Amino acid sequence: MRRFRQDEQQPPQARPIADGVIMRLDHVFEVDPALMGSHFKQQRMPVWDTERIVDSRWQHLRWMHAHFADELLVAGEPAELGAEHVVDQPEMESRKHDISDGAG
Amino acid sequence: MSAVTTIDAPVVDELEAIMGGEEGAVLTNVSSRVNRTRVPAPFPVHRWAEFLPAAVVMPRTAEQVSEILKLANRHRIPVVPRAGGTGLADGAVPLRGGIVLDVKLMNQIKEVDLVDRTVTVGPGINMLKLNEELRPHGVFFPDAPASYPCSLVGGRIACSGMSLLNARYGHTRDLVVSMQLVLPTGEIIEVGEGGGRKLRKSSTGYNLKQLFMGHQGTLGIVTEATLELAPRAEAEFAAFFAFDDYMKAHATVGNIARSGLGTIAGVVLFDEHKIAYLRRDDEAFIPMPPWVVSVVAVALYGAKVEVQAASRRIMELGRSEGGRYTGDEMADGDWASRHDRYANPLHGRLPDGKVAPMSWHCEDAAINFSALPKVREEWHELVASYRERYGIFDDWGMYAYTTGAYKPWGDLLTEIDVGIWEQELDDENWAGWVSLKHEIAKVSLKHGGSITSCHGATRAGDAELVAQEMGSGWDAMKKIKRTFDPNNVMNPGKLMLDEAYADENGGGPR
Repeated sequence: MRRFRQDEQQPPQARPIADGVIMRLDHVFEVDPALMGSHFKQQRMPVWDTERIVDSRWQHLRWMHAHFADELLVAGEPAELGAEHVVDQPEMESRKHDISDGAG
Repeated sequence: MSAVTTIDAPVVDELEAIMGGEEGAVLTNVSSRVNRTRVPAPFPVHRWAEFLPAAVVMPRTAEQVSEILKLANRHRIPVVPRAGGTGLADGAVPLRGGIVLDVKLMNQIKEVDLVDRTVTVGPGINMLKLNEELRPHGVFFPDAPASYPCSLVGGRIACSGMSLLNARYGHTRDLVVSMQLVLPTGEIIEVGEGGGRKLRKSSTGYNLKQLFMGHQGTLGIVTEATLELAPRAEAEFAAFFAFDDYMKAHATVGNIARSGLGTIAGVVLFDEHKIAYLRRDDEAFIPMPPWVVSVVAVALYGAKVEVQAASRRIMELGRSEGGRYTGDEMADGDWASRHDRYANPLHGRLPDGKVAPMSWHCEDAAINFSALPKVREEWHELVASYRERYGIFDDWGMYAYTTGAYKPWGDLLTEIDVGIWEQELDDENWAGWVSLKHEIAKVSLKHGGSITSCHGATRAGDAELVAQEMGSGWDAMKKIKRTFDPNNVMNPGKLMLDEAYADENGGGPR
């Protein structure tokens, strides 16, 4: 368990990721605040709350895989999207098995 | 019954008596009625009160449903059945007030038969919950809509819903073995294959079961369903392939669909507008280089020995037209999220690029594989034109799903997702919205398609085209409606079926 520190709850400076998209925390993508306005105010969230929401989503997706099948197989091959593909998605901690080695 | 129907206190007393005085079984308070007025699809929020039911009833038995419908016939009160209320075509929206019959308390699992492989349930059970109960038995009910965590069996039957896993396991209509339902006049009947409750094929009599599949609450209310049990999948495999050209992706869908691989559960095609939407959205954001304009997703389910072998062939087919594998992480995360599209974020973009809160409209159609590219072009042109004119719509792109049960070739469930800024709705903007939907549906018919593959043709904009699409079968459909529902109490105003009563009432409903 990680100790809670108030001074760690302020998200770091935003980095532009794509047109209209920023990233403050790794793998957490946000609409560029410049596009938000009077119609839809952007929420200010502490780091712990953002992490809670993101973790919950991944937990839900893992649960959904397990709900439908005993085992998740993947190709076990790298993405072929080229050098422009610079933002990696987080690795899921799952029951997935590489089809190429017949594991699992 | 063309005006909104209210009900008097003595009728409420009759309903209370039918429900045996159970507390909460008859609800007339405002919040209970407001919460059962709309569905997730865009709604004329500025006219909400016009769609309010007068009362909500929550029966537990078929006998109670029967008595409610007999009462409705005596008093000529509309009855609108409601299950999860997750439909995207307004099937559960009352157009004439009256009674909403909510089946959520009819959620029992009545029998699990592991020998003849069926499970018998009430219409108010949810598939996710049902499958949690079935899991220890090594079986599952493989009906998997995008609303899987929240839709209910009764609604799936009423809409004849589409399952993401249809190529492997079939759709709702293929997975209901038999059902009990209450006809509009209150008779309780059983329909299945011949007289069998657990039979998959009979040649006795008419096939009445399919008549009640997708009737949108216009022909009665399902009170029990006996469902198929499939072996729980040992293994699941998903892969996504990226393309620099939509037609290459389209051809790849065809190559995979015609491959003959029996474990294919579904193939999904994302178009350029959908990729653009995913690139700009904070929750669904998928990092993609600029050259990617289309994506094909494939999922396999079944015994591990089958899935493992087929997955290698899928990796070849996915690249057969130049597709590039997007990596294991996307295969993991995005496929699982297909089962839960109701978690979609609702950040629309106005024409000036600013973010506005928008509701999600998913306009679906059944389109032949060959016609899809042309339909896609025309649909996007329409949305762009209305977006420019009204300024409150947003094009969220298109998906196309293989949809032939056990034979995923030939036609596709095709959908365009459109954002609509409901807060800005007034009569003019709503009329524009209905007109847009109508024009989208006309494109589907022009290209030999159907105006809906899974949601139902019960919404303004679509509904006016039902007679045209049904063609020479339309008169037969009206006769069926009038025979089963002589007083037009079941979900009146839907599917143009008021026409069934036109000759008796000078052109209006009874």
